[in-house]
Amino acid sequence: MKITIETANGTTTARLEGRLDTPASTEVTPYFDQIQEHADGTVILDCTELSYIASSGLRLFLALRKVALAKGGKVIVKNINDGIRQVFMMTGFLNMFEIQ
Amino acid sequence: MSTKDWSEKKILGKSARAGLLVVVIAIVTLEATSIIQYIYSQRGIKEEASLRAQSELQSATNKIMDIVNQAEGSVTNSLWVAEWCLETSPDSLVRVPQRVVEINPVVVGSTIALVPGYNKKYPLYSPYATRNLETGEIETLSLATDSYDYPSQEWFTQPMASGDGYWSEPYFDEGGGNMLMTTFSMPVKDSKGRIAAILTADISLDWLTELMENTKSYPNAYNTVTSRSGHLVLCTNPEARQSGDPDTLVYRAPVERTGWSLSIVVPEKDLFAGVRKVGMVVKILQLLGVVLIVVILRLIAKSQLKYKKLNTQKELIQNELRIGRDIQMSLVPKTFPAFPKRTDLDIAACIVPAKEVGGDLYDFYIRDEKLFFCIGDVSGKGVPAALVMTVTQSLFRAISSRENSPAKIVASMNDSMAEKNENSMFVTFFCGVLDLVTGQLRYCNAGHNPALRVGAGESMVVVGTAVSRLPVEPNIPLGLDAGFAFKEQEAFLGYDDSIFLYTDGVTEAENASFELFGEERLEATLSLKRDAQGQLDATRDAVSAFVGDSPQNDDITILVIHYLATPVKQDRRLILHNDIQQIPQLADFMETIAEEKGLDQSLCLSLNLALEEAVTNVILYAYPAGADGLVSIEAVLREHSLEFIITDSGVAFDPTAVPEADTTLSAAERAIGGLGIHLVRQIMDEVRYQRLDDNNILTLVKNI
Repeated sequence: MKITIETANGTTTARLEGRLDTPASTEVTPYFDQIQEHADGTVILDCTELSYIASSGLRLFLALRKVALAKGGKVIVKNINDGIRQVFMMTGFLNMFEIQ
Repeated sequence: MSTKDWSEKKILGKSARAGLLVVVIAIVTLEATSIIQYIYSQRGIKEEASLRAQSELQSATNKIMDIVNQAEGSVTNSLWVAEWCLETSPDSLVRVPQRVVEINPVVVGSTIALVPGYNKKYPLYSPYATRNLETGEIETLSLATDSYDYPSQEWFTQPMASGDGYWSEPYFDEGGGNMLMTTFSMPVKDSKGRIAAILTADISLDWLTELMENTKSYPNAYNTVTSRSGHLVLCTNPEARQSGDPDTLVYRAPVERTGWSLSIVVPEKDLFAGVRKVGMVVKILQLLGVVLIVVILRLIAKSQLKYKKLNTQKELIQNELRIGRDIQMSLVPKTFPAFPKRTDLDIAACIVPAKEVGGDLYDFYIRDEKLFFCIGDVSGKGVPAALVMTVTQSLFRAISSRENSPAKIVASMNDSMAEKNENSMFVTFFCGVLDLVTGQLRYCNAGHNPALRVGAGESMVVVGTAVSRLPVEPNIPLGLDAGFAFKEQEAFLGYDDSIFLYTDGVTEAENASFELFGEERLEATLSLKRDAQGQLDATRDAVSAFVGDSPQNDDITILVIHYLATPVKQDRRLILHNDIQQIPQLADFMETIAEEKGLDQSLCLSLNLALEEAVTNVILYAYPAGADGLVSIEAVLREHSLEFIITDSGVAFDPTAVPEADTTLSAAERAIGGLGIHLVRQIMDEVRYQRLDDNNILTLVKNI
């Protein structure tokens, strides 16, 4: 699992690559903490290269969304594949995030 | 009860009718016999009486003839004297009757009467000599008196007319001796052949009376003598004769010369007194016989009733045994094909009890894709064995429903049965658990015949069908020793393999020459067939052909399991430690399966996710912190479904009991947790949880 975070013009883009399974979620939790700091603005989670997500990953997404809500920011989830879209559907995440 | 009364009455009625018939027949037969016997004995008695009378009469006649001869002799012997006196000196004629009386004691009187006019000197001459009964002197007097016209007397006229001797009618001599008399008279001829005189001899008939009185054949019989002219001369019992009893038998005999007739008169009542007495006795005996027959018939009817009652009781017991058999048979699965929807399994089974109820059992059922099956043989036969059989069957069902290990099932059953086994009954038992997915057979043999395995097995190049015995650990039968540690064994079945289980009724079936069917014959029979029903039928046919007409002396039970699936390879099982870092292995595991099964990427990811969520849950929460634990993930690939069995030995936790997550809530309202199990439920079509043998078993099914 690889994560790249870029911040420009009040927009923070996190590019997720690989499988966000349970151990990976633990691994990337510090990066999500970092992203939360920018949650007052726009956060784009670029999932183009994300092949898989487990509930632990979803939890990271949800926690970020909660912080953004509190800080008045927004979270955009970009380019999810069909599998992940299905997972989002099953969990109601499609309604909680702005999906691009 | 009304039926019973009715049938009792019916029986009694029937016996009463039959009894009456027997009594009537007996009476008729006895009566007919006694009538015939009476007729014949009457006839016999009459014949005998006739003979007896004839002989009596004969003897009397002989005696009479004796005297008659003497009397006649005394006359005829004096004839020459008379003739001589006539010729020479008629005066001496008086000597002739004196001589006749003198020489013969039976002669009481005698005369010689000259034919009137024959002698000039004595125109009527008849000197009569008689014996004085008091003095014995012979006295002589003349009959030629005016008052007695002798030439007209019968004793004179008859010999005169006939010229021959004549016996007069007996008469009662009132003047002379006051006695019954008769006279024999004989003409005396002169030298010229003319009748000159008649010489007579009077004979007393006292002796005749005496003779007839002494001739007594029957107590009330009497005798009569009648004269030539039919006058009654004497009768020994004039009163009886006067009474005129019509039922008399009369026997007669003539007496020559005198013209008399002797009769013996026998009253029939005398004659038949004996036979009537016998008849009475016979009648009494007959009556007693009839009474005896009636009594015997009553006793027979009663005993028949008792027998009938016993029969009814026997029928009741038979009926109850039939019901018992039906109950027993309802305990064992006996609808075949047993699993019509399954293509991976074919089963055939039968129980043929030697008696109404038996002590053999078998059972099988499928749980969690495992075939649980057993076969058993209770020691002994009949009702006690049948009762133990039902207990065994029930225990198997109860215990195997929550226990996967055959050894543990058997041990648990054994403990229950040994605990209260006062009659020392035991059961030889084979318990198997066949994993229908993997072909793994775990089994425990508690003293039963070895199971036979029919088929190519793992080696696929066997020509024909190989029959081999599954190895047997020396376990003891059930019910003997509580706490015995039963050993479990393992085998793997391949496609088209069969397990053939049987009780010793098969191998110990005995023919007329006391040979046993035996294992070799069984194995030879099985090598010819592959399908379950075929093996069962072939075995039953072979056994019945072998035993012929010999009776079946033990229950025959057969259970055949024909495995028709290609076993799933063992590498579809993944075992992980309770370490989160092992999670990525699931992805590889899932990919292999997806590849094999041709699943698309999206479905593979979903299934991966469901597995990961379920397994993560175990890894994070099942075992105490820091403790090492395992989690097994087993994949079962079916034609239209995939099944994952996740097993761990951690604390009991049922994820299916977690409430559904509400996915309609907003992000602010949503809890962070609870997503994992929600995803599992969403992705899978079926989620089952089971706590077995201290294991959490979570089964996830996805239809494809």
